[in-house]
Amino acid sequence: MEASTTTSASKTPADFLKSIRGKRVVVKLNSGVDYRGILACLDGYMNIAMEHTEEYVNGQLKNKYGDAFIRGNNVLYISLAK
Amino acid sequence: MLFYSFFKTLVGKQITVELKNDLEIRGTLVSVDQYLNIKLESVSVLDEEKYPHMKSVRDCFVRGSVVRYVQPPEESVDVDILHDATRREARSAV
Amino acid sequence: MASASDGGEDQATLANQQTNIDESTVKEPLDLVRLSLDERVYVKLRNDRELRGKLHSYDQHLNMLLGEVEEITTIREVDEETYEEIIKSNKRSVPYLFVRGDAVTLISPHEIRS
Repeated sequence: MEASTTTSASKTPADFLKSIRGKRVVVKLNSGVDYRGILACLDGYMNIAMEHTEEYVNGQLKNKYGDAFIRGNNVLYISLAK
Repeated sequence: MLFYSFFKTLVGKQITVELKNDLEIRGTLVSVDQYLNIKLESVSVLDEEKYPHMKSVRDCFVRGSVVRYVQPPEESVDVDILHDATRREARSAV
Repeated sequence: MASASDGGEDQATLANQQTNIDESTVKEPLDLVRLSLDERVYVKLRNDRELRGKLHSYDQHLNMLLGEVEEITTIREVDEETYEEIIKSNKRSVPYLFVRGDAVTLISPHEIRS
């Protein structure tokens, strides 16, 4: 498998997940809450460690966390932030 | 296995179990299994007015998956043992 | 639990030294939780529940044992006449609390929180 070709043109979900480490991401949970921050790492359960995380509820900033662990079962999607 | 071992040390002690449906039960822990299912005896419900049907319940079995919290008695928690066991388990889990 | 035999002792020590090198780094998400052991953490649960307490133990499911715990439950109600959202929160303190992992959504080291 070719590692680290380009970031946006990655082929499989696993390639995408590998390519976004250290990047700014948006993580949406099933509850609708969004977390915006830098993705430190993730595992096979989609547990996520993030840095400089901001929590948005209904588009409003509600909290900031220096470090945050998010339990994978709550994750709806992970997307690259602009 | 860590919390299974922990709960085994609480057998015979009074604990308070809060379920995901908000029901709070206090009783003596009789036994626990690997799923953290628990058996309690001499139970009382904290809000009996709200759950009158629970008044006649003496013993009960609680499925582990419906538990939200368990409050162990303060004197039966040894934090040093827990720290060591947790570090050991974290190392072996990788 | 103490399964290491005398013969395996050296190997175990070696393995420990190996892990000690990595013990302060975050390579997988659970490392973040491991580094919070014996520290105060903030935990967000389902159904608008929040906990603050000292993390004494956890496992891979995020079952946890917290000490000196403060729980905050938030209840949202909409006033039927004015449609204003009324937010009530209840606080309580518990010496020790076992928390089942399946209700957990987020864990953060406490002191960094705004």
